[in-house]
Formats: sequence, structure tokens, C-alpha cells
Amino acid sequence: MSKELIRLSDCVVKFDDEIILDHLNLHINDKEFLTLLGPSGCGKTTTLRIIGGFLTPTSGDVFFDGQRINDVPPYKRQVNTVFQKYALFPHLNVYENVAFGLRIAKVPDGEVRQRVTEMLEIVNLKGFEKRPISALSGGQQQRVAIARALVNRPKVLLLDEPLGALDMRLRKDMQAELKRIQQELGITFVYVTHDQEEALAMSDTVVVMDGGLIQQIGTPEDIYNEPKNAFVADFIGESNILDGVMRADGVVEIFNRRFQCLDGGFPPDAPVDVVIRPEDVDIVSEDQGQLKGTVTQVTFKGVHYDTIVDFYGFKWLIQTTDYCPVGSRIGIKIDPDGFHVMGKSAYSGLFGDYSSYSEEYDEIGDATMEPGGEDGEDEE
Amino acid sequence: MKGKRNGAGRLLMALVFLFLYAPIFLLIIFSFNAGNSSAVWQGFSLDWYVKLFQDRLVMESVYTTLLVSILATAISTVAGVFAAIGLFGLKRRWRSPLMSVSNIPTVNADIVTGVSLCLLFAAVFQGWGAFARWFNSIQSAVALPTRLTLGFTTLLLAHIAFDIPYVILNVSPRLRQMDKNLIDAAQDLGCTWFQAFWRVILPEIKPGVVSGALIAFTMSVDDFVISYFTAGSATSTLSMTIYGMTKKRVSPEINAVSTLLFGVVLVLLILSNVLELRQEKLAQRKSALQNPAEYRPVRSHSAAPKVTKAPWFRRAVAVVSVFALVGSVWALASVAGSQPVVNVCSWGEYIDTDLITQFEEETGIRVNYQTAESNEVLYSLLKSGGGDYDVIVPSDYMISQLIEEDMLAPLDYSKIPNFSLIDDQFKNLPYDPDNRYTVPYAWGTLGIIYNTTMVDGPIDSWSAMFDPANAGQVLLINNSRDALGIALMYLGYSVNTTDGGELQEAYQLLADAAAQGVYQGKVMDEVYQTMEGGNAAIATYYAGDYLTMLENNEDLAFVVPKEGSNWFVDAMCMLKNARHPEEAHAWINFMASTDSCLANLDYIWYGTANREAIEAYPAYYEELYGEELDQETFDIIQTPPEVLERCEMYLVLPKETRDLYKKLWISLGV
Amino acid sequence: MRNKSSRFAIPYVIWMALLVVAPIVLMVVYAFTSESGSFTLDSFASMGDYLSVFTRSFELALIATLICLLIGYPVAYAMAKEGPRFQRLSMALIMLPMWINFLLRTYAWMSILENNGLLNQFFRAIGLLRLLGVDHLSLIRTQGAVVLGMVYNYLPFMILPIYSVLVKLDGSLMEAARDLGANSLAVFRKVVFPLSLPGVLSGVTMVFVPSVSTFAISRLLGGGTQMMLGDLIEQQFLGGSYDPHLGAAISMVMMVIVVVCMALMTHFGEGEEQAVVL
Repeated sequence: MSKELIRLSDCVVKFDDEIILDHLNLHINDKEFLTLLGPSGCGKTTTLRIIGGFLTPTSGDVFFDGQRINDVPPYKRQVNTVFQKYALFPHLNVYENVAFGLRIAKVPDGEVRQRVTEMLEIVNLKGFEKRPISALSGGQQQRVAIARALVNRPKVLLLDEPLGALDMRLRKDMQAELKRIQQELGITFVYVTHDQEEALAMSDTVVVMDGGLIQQIGTPEDIYNEPKNAFVADFIGESNILDGVMRADGVVEIFNRRFQCLDGGFPPDAPVDVVIRPEDVDIVSEDQGQLKGTVTQVTFKGVHYDTIVDFYGFKWLIQTTDYCPVGSRIGIKIDPDGFHVMGKSAYSGLFGDYSSYSEEYDEIGDATMEPGGEDGEDEE
Repeated sequence: MKGKRNGAGRLLMALVFLFLYAPIFLLIIFSFNAGNSSAVWQGFSLDWYVKLFQDRLVMESVYTTLLVSILATAISTVAGVFAAIGLFGLKRRWRSPLMSVSNIPTVNADIVTGVSLCLLFAAVFQGWGAFARWFNSIQSAVALPTRLTLGFTTLLLAHIAFDIPYVILNVSPRLRQMDKNLIDAAQDLGCTWFQAFWRVILPEIKPGVVSGALIAFTMSVDDFVISYFTAGSATSTLSMTIYGMTKKRVSPEINAVSTLLFGVVLVLLILSNVLELRQEKLAQRKSALQNPAEYRPVRSHSAAPKVTKAPWFRRAVAVVSVFALVGSVWALASVAGSQPVVNVCSWGEYIDTDLITQFEEETGIRVNYQTAESNEVLYSLLKSGGGDYDVIVPSDYMISQLIEEDMLAPLDYSKIPNFSLIDDQFKNLPYDPDNRYTVPYAWGTLGIIYNTTMVDGPIDSWSAMFDPANAGQVLLINNSRDALGIALMYLGYSVNTTDGGELQEAYQLLADAAAQGVYQGKVMDEVYQTMEGGNAAIATYYAGDYLTMLENNEDLAFVVPKEGSNWFVDAMCMLKNARHPEEAHAWINFMASTDSCLANLDYIWYGTANREAIEAYPAYYEELYGEELDQETFDIIQTPPEVLERCEMYLVLPKETRDLYKKLWISLGV
Repeated sequence: MRNKSSRFAIPYVIWMALLVVAPIVLMVVYAFTSESGSFTLDSFASMGDYLSVFTRSFELALIATLICLLIGYPVAYAMAKEGPRFQRLSMALIMLPMWINFLLRTYAWMSILENNGLLNQFFRAIGLLRLLGVDHLSLIRTQGAVVLGMVYNYLPFMILPIYSVLVKLDGSLMEAARDLGANSLAVFRKVVFPLSLPGVLSGVTMVFVPSVSTFAISRLLGGGTQMMLGDLIEQQFLGGSYDPHLGAAISMVMMVIVVVCMALMTHFGEGEEQAVVL
């Protein structure tokens, strides 16, 4: 499991003086499910394309199994890709799409048939061989794309937002399916997504990126529980990020009140960012609370209520199963392990209140970045 | 598509562009040539541009082209948009077959479209004629015109017919891409259907409308074939004028007008490109990280023009519509203030064009001067209804045929006092024994024109036309009567023979020579260009034309072969259904006058039948050029009696012989 | 909008009936009748005399189409690979010649190809003619010249449809193919070319149809010895031998050819419409 397969060393990518990747260092182990996570334009797709061979870094090296492969064209790499919008060949049917790579490699017909059939079985598309691509649903196309890549038995499968075009339910199913396939075949998956839930659910390792830089690498648990800076904290899950002062190891001060926490190692009186996950806050009666505030908004979410509480003009998001009506005064209690203290970073202060990085923001971001990009495609 | 730009690709493109533009550059360069050659540079001059603006024929055809293109574009754009919306609104079951029908003009060969429209118009005119006659007979309040002819209206209809499908083809995809709910949403918000159309559909499909209109306009401007079959004789687009000229010699004026058009389009293109570029740079600056570089430009390209094109094209469309409006008002005005007209059809380079101006100034009658290529073509034009002429100038044997088929009207000689000036030698000739239909225009002989530097010794026999020694250097005349006539004369038979065996023999002679590669080509008026440029050594053509060629190539010589030849008279006649008989008589009289004949003689170098003119010409020549008229030249113009003795006039042949001619001509290689 | 807007189809349907369908019907009627108006197949029978014109037209048009394809495809491909600025420029450069009358452009070729034309002058100047021991190369009034004229006039009609298909090809398809082990040649053979077939087919039709029916080109560059179907039809209507019935019959045959071409095209490529849009 731990053998290193791919290494990106000091990779820089620039387009017209614009830095897309900034001295990136990353290694990927064999049989690992690694996810590149980040908002649009963070450099995750660029990283993937470097591995796939569609892009040569402006500077820096790419190693595969210890070999430098900067100049190896894509068709000579033991890497296959599942493209964002699948890129299935419209002039070929399901079978021929999957068989494409094998035919290029001049695999004998019998073997092609056997391997394609087998692969279609793995992706649950048995019996669809003769269908034209246009007659498939999004989910089915997705499976064909995966089968087409995997049938070549690559060492590494690259997936570029493969579930982006699917609806919520299908997405959940496919996540499980992808994980299953990965484990069944024992192939390294490098997965690109901007959906943090997806990343957490599937990955062995998550790489959080922003602005062409890696913000944090770690297991999903690490990333969630021990975010390295405000960006990661905010991007992964919802959180309340507060200004605090580290008074001593295990003692953090917020709103001029000292709380017990488990973190340490900061110089005394160092200013810090404190992350408190909404689900780590317990609501108690006002007099028992470590902090006291007023409920300003309650939204029923099924499993819990999203309760917005105003503490000294600063709004927190608290997820609780107890219903507190708007206007009621409450107290809260946080266990020491509910505090996560981070050093100040460039991102400090950017994520005020309980705001969290949502997909909607992402889309708004997209829209401003690519004016009219979609509907202009059919221009004569 | 993306990929690394490669040198080979660029090189290939450069070569293809060179291929595409080489003739165009040539054309532009030679529009500044001092001489009228399109191959030899004779110094820089802007003469042709000056002449262009004085040449009514060319200017009128430019005007007709622009007017018909603009009107057709405007009408077909509006009609096409609504048609596209209408078709889009139909169920698929109906839409698909209708779309196929609609596409017919875009995929059908132009010539088929043109021919079929020509047939349609002819049939409609016939039907209308019958109706109008009936209608006029049952009442007298309104007199309907009984005779309609091809003209601007039919031309416009034809252009609209082939333009609409292009508009539809460009608009339909836009409609399909449009969100189906948009119009519902607009109506939901209180728009009427037309408001919704104006505010929602139109902005949405605008790029399609604009590109459709542009393509329609380009197609209209560039069209030749369909116009050729539907414009009739009185209306001429630029392409038709050029086609008429390509047969003889394209005047560099045409190069000049094309250069101007080309320049205008080029400037517009550069302007729009610069505008787009500027906008694109802005867009590119904004466009951010998301996609790798190779994709990005393509995307921003597709997005950017949409933003920029709008205001620029709105202006363009506005300009075009203003043009159309002004143009149509102008057209209406010119129709309303219609002055007397006479429609004349003659041969190429067969008149001193100053005479036309002179006639117009003297009489106030406008002359529509058209040319046909040969007697046979003229006949086709008349038969197919394409020729709306008053006066025609056919040759002898064709006159007989036309009289035979009752297509000519007898002339009122009291209105042609100048007829008395015609030498008796040219009256009551076999084609018009009682001289009721014709006034001779010019006459001449057929002979051999050859380039003295390219053949050994002088030629005096038709044998040169069949001699394998001259392989590849001989131009055969491209009409069956003359070509077979030459062979008949060489064999010593009459050119009017009806003997199948003799004709067969003549045919064999030609066929053998052709098989031995004697003939470089079959030409009519192309002979000028070819012989003048020294591109062939020997040709058969008419005496007067030889003298015109001689002006441009001194090495040419002319001979009426010893075996004899054909002499011909071209005479002015009036068509039976002529719409302007008064004006026609005036024209005929004018052209028969001594002054006209003198001017014409000096210009076309063909013999005249006007007694006074023949006598006065040597003096006229001396006065004009300050030198004595060379007797040898004059003999070519006015063939002396001893030569004429050897010559025979063509007579109309019986139908069976004509059919045999046709058959032999086909077998000779079509 | 569907139902309400369909009323706009009615005037257009009438228009089509009058100016698209009626002329064709009339043409067919002409083809099957004699001068006296009675039914006859004579026109079709006499077409046999012109068999050589048919074969020549097809032969030359096929050659021209093939040459256009061989030149046009690589050009379209190279164009599609270029940046957007270059693409737009080359599009404009390809369209621009259309604004100069095609007769005039063809005529310009005459002065290039003549025996004493620019090309022969050039060959003479560089001593090629002396090397070959000839006075000139016979370029004009040959079949080659006619084919050249067709290629010259119709090449843009091959480039543009192929280009517009190629430029719309999803780049990720080619990446996918490379990713699956295809080298550049295989990418082209297995993905790019099959996907560009609709463009190729429409290009082939757009070149073949006008080529086979061309008139004037053969006359200008073929010197009257290379008569094509178009010239033949013209002759029957406005040319030397007046016979509209024969002309209509030949036109009809030509239309059948076009229909067959179209049927083949729609059979192979689904692109029912975009094909003709430039």
C-alpha cells in the first residue's frame, strides 16, 4: 500500500504570466485513493492533466515509478482518464467505446471481447453493448467512461469531476460504486472534485488546494478535524471560525473568556483562529452556559436544526437536535475536544460568521469567471 | 479541436491562399494597367477607373446587382425568419419533409434551378397573356398588358427564392437551441405574441439572422447562373455583363470595379476583425484560471463576438436597410418616369458606342444595347422568351429562317428615309427577296486569320485548317454552319449543299483533323484574346474582327482563301412582337445614316452598305488619322468584287439538313 | 409558441409550392413532352448522343472533388488547430474571393494559363521550356485546365464544412483517445476522421454538384472542347441549339443525381442541416 507511484516535484504551470500551479510537491502511493479537492481554479484539474500527460509543467518534474515522464505522451503512459463530460466517442457504440484502447493496443479479438464483457459487468452495464452512446443516461455514460478507462488495466485511473453531471442520488450510488471498483481492482485512483463530502466519503488521502497551492494533505479525518488553516476549515464542512488568543497550552480565549482545549504548542498570548464545528456545540440552559446568546433563526434540516445564535453580535451556526424557538436566550457548552486551534494564516478573517464554502458560491464564482461560456459553443 | 500549431499546416495554408489569391492579385494589378491586355504590363494608369464611371453598361449592371442583392437579402431575411419560426412551430412529421423541400434550391445545381425557374416564368407569362387577352376582350375599362417578359422582377423573385433557404438554415439551429419556455415566459409576463417575438425571440436568434442575411447577400452578389436564366435580356447583373465580356475581351474596367468591391469588403472585414480583437483582449484578461490555455481562447472566442458583433452589426443592418429603402424608391421613381426605350440586340464589339449616346441625345430614346454570341444563340433567346428586343441584327440565313417562322415584322420604310442610301447591290438579297423586313447593317467575309511569325509562308488555302503540320495551333470556329462550311468549301462543294454525302465528307475531314490534334480549341469571340496574345497561329473568323485584332498584334494576317468563302450580310430587323416599333424605326434609320455608317465602319471595320459612306470613307479616314487609307486594309473592309465573286452567301437550310448539321456537330465532339 | 407560430409556415409553403415545386414539376413535364405537347421519351433517347458529355462531366467532377478533398481536408484540419485569431482570419480569407465574380477569377486564370500566359512566361524565364525543348506547355484548353478551374472555384466549399465540423469537435475526445493509447495517427484515423465524416460528405456534395453542372468554366478554360453537362443544358435554352425539352430532360437527370447524392449524405451523416450552413 505504501509504495510511492507518482511524484510531482516542484511543478510550476504558468499561462501568460498567470501562475496556475505554484511549486507543487505531491506524491501518490500505489493503490491509494487520492482526492484533489478545491474550488474552481485552484489548480486541481491542472495537476491531474500533468499526471495524464496532457500538459507539461512549465518547470518541475513528474516521476512515475521513479522514472521521469515529463516528455512521455499520454498514449504511452500507464494512466487512464475518466473525463469531466466523459468524452465518449459519439460515432461508436458502448462496446466499441470500451474496446477502443484495446483495439489501439492490437489486443486479439477474443481477448478484447472477454475483457470488455468483464468490464461492462463490473460497471453493471451488461447487455448494453450495442447501444449508441446517445441512448444512454448520464449515469450509464459515466459507467461506460469508467469501463473504457479501466479495461486497459492502467496503474492509475484519473477521474476529473466524474460525478459532476449526475444528480444527488445517483452521485451517492456512484461514489459507493467507484470505491468498490477501486478496492476490487486495486488500482490507484486520483480523483478531482470540488465536493468536500465526496472527497471525505471516498478518499484515503485528501489534498486540499487553493490558488495553485496545496493547503493540506491528510486523511479525511485529519482534514476535517485538524484543518491547518481557515481556508481548509471552511472548505471542509461548516464551521464557526473565531479570533482567539492562546493563553497557554490547552487554554484558549474567545470573547474574553477562557476555554479549555486540547491544542498547544503556540507561543503564549499568540493570536489564533479557533474553529468550532456546529455539531460540537451543546445547547444548555442559559445559566449553565459557558457563553450566552439569543437564537435568531432556526431551520429544520431533518436530522437536526440549524440554529443561528447571536453571541455578542457574532453569529454562530449550531447544529442541534433540540428545538429552541427564535428569540429564546440559551447557553452553550463546548467540550475541550470541540475546539480546534490554528495559527493565523493568509485566510484568517476571510470567513466571517458561520459562512461556509458552499457549492452555490462555487457556481457564482464560475459564472463570473466564464462569461457566457456555455451558450456560445455553437457559434458558426 | 486543439493541438500544436505545426509548420507544415501553415505552409499548406499559405500555398492554398496563394492559389486562391494569385488570380485575384493579377486582376487587381491589371486594373491599373495602361493597356487593355490582361497579360502584358504596359504601365500604370487609373484610366480604367475613370472609364468605369463613364461606362453606362457596367455601372448599370453594378447598380442592378447591388439593388437586386440588397432587396433580395432584405426580403428573404424577413420572410426567412418568419418561415423558420413557422416551420419550427410545426410537428416534426410535417417539418422534416417541408425542410427538405425548402432546401432544394441550396443543394440543387444552380443551372437546374435557373432553367426550371426560366421555364416557370415562361409558362406563367404565356398563361397571363391568354388571360389578359381574354380580359381585354370582354371589357375596355382596364387594358392589361398582354406581354410580360423576364426582367428585374423575375430576377428578384429568383434571388429571393434561392436566398430564403439560406436564411432558414441559419436561423433554425438558433431556434432549436432556444429555451422553449422563453416565449411562454414572455407571454406570461404580459407580452403579445409579436412583442414576445420582438423582445425575446429576435434577440435570441439574432446571430443566426445576421449570418443568414450575410450569406444570402453573398450568394446574391456572386450568383451568375440563376440570374443568367431569369433576368432576361433587358436586365443585366454584373456577372452577366462579365460573362458577355469573357467571350471576347474583358475590359479592364471590370477589373477596376472588382478591385473596388474587393477593397470595400476587405475594409469592412478588417474593421470587424479589429473590433473583435479589441473586445477579445478584454475578455481574455478577465477569463481566469479554470481551463488550460489551449481551450480557453476557443471559448472566449465563441463568447466574445457575441458581445461585440451586436452593435456593429446592428449598424450594418441599419445601413443595409436604408440602402434597400433608398434603392427601391429610386427604382420606383425610374419606372414611373419611364422614357421611351428601344431594345437592341446585336453582336459583341459591333458598334461604335458613341453612336448610342449620340442617338439618345438626339432623340431622347434610351437604348438598351444587348449582344448575343451567334445567330443560333439569338434564335434560342428569342424562342425561350429571354429576349425582349425590338431590333435585332441577325445574319442573312437566320433572317430567312425568322421570316419563315413569322417572327419578324415588316418595316415601314417611309419611316426609314436613309434606306434610299443603301447601295442596290445590298437590296433584295435572297434572304429578303422583296426587301420588306430588313435594312443592311454591315457585311463581310469569312477568312483565315494567321500569325505570320508562327507559320511558314503565307496561307492561301483552307487546307491550313486541316493540316496536321499545324497541330495544336489552329482554332476552329465554334458554330456548325461556319465550321462545316469551311470543310465544304475546301472540298469544292457549295456551302448550301443539302447533299448528305457531301456533308458527311466534310464532317470526316474535320473529324480526321480533330483526331490528329490539329485544333487547339473551338472558339467564337475568345479568338480575339487568343490570337492577339499569339497563343494560336491560325483561326477562322470574320474580316472586320481581323482588323480589330491587328490593332493589338501586328503579326496577324488575313486571307480569303482561293477556294472561296462565305460572305454575309447582317441586317437590322424588327421583331414581330416589338414593344417599341416607333423607336425601333428611329434607331434603324439612325444607324443607316451616312454619318453613323462612317463612324461605325471606322470602329468595327466591317463593310457598310451605305453608298455615300463607302465613297466618303477614304477621305474620312485621312481627316481623322492624318494619313492615307491603306488600300489593302480597305479591301478587307470592303471586299473587292473579284474576291466577292469567289464567295457564297449562306441560305437557310431545310429542317432535315439543319438536323444533320446538328448531329454531325455533336459527333464532332461535344 | 409552437402552435401559434406555425401559421407563419403557411405563406412559405405556398411560396415553395410556386417557386420551388412548380418549376421542377414543369421541368419534368417538359422532359417528357415533345414540341407539340404530346408525351414522348425522345428527349431521353437523344441524350444518348451526348454520352461523352455525361462521362466527361462525371469524370472531371469526380477528379475535381477528389483533389478538393485531398487539399481541403488538410487545410481545414490545419485551420482548426490554429488559434482563434488565425482561424477567423483564414475563414475571412477563404470567404473573401467569393466577392470577386467567379467568371472574372476564372478569366484571370486564362491569362495565367495561355500559351503565352504568365505561367509559360515564367517557365520560359527559368529555362524550363528550353530544357524540355518545347515552345510552351499546353495548359489551357485541356481537361486539366477545366479541373483546375473547378478546384479553384469550389475548394472553399470543401474546406468550410470540414472545418466547421472539425472546429466543433470536443477536444476531450481526442485527449480521451490519446489517453487510451492512440498515437496521433490513430487519433486521426479512429476518432477525428470518422467524426468529421458529415463535414466531408457535405463538402463532397457541395463540390461535386456544382462541378458536374458547371458551365462557363469549361468554356473559358476548356476552350469549347471540354463541354460539360452545364454547357449542354445552357445550349438547349440560351445557346446554339434550341431544344428546351432535351434541356429539361438533362436537367432532370442532373437533379436525380443531386437527390441521390443527398440521400447518400443523409444516410451517412445525421447532419441534416448544419451541412449547408457555412
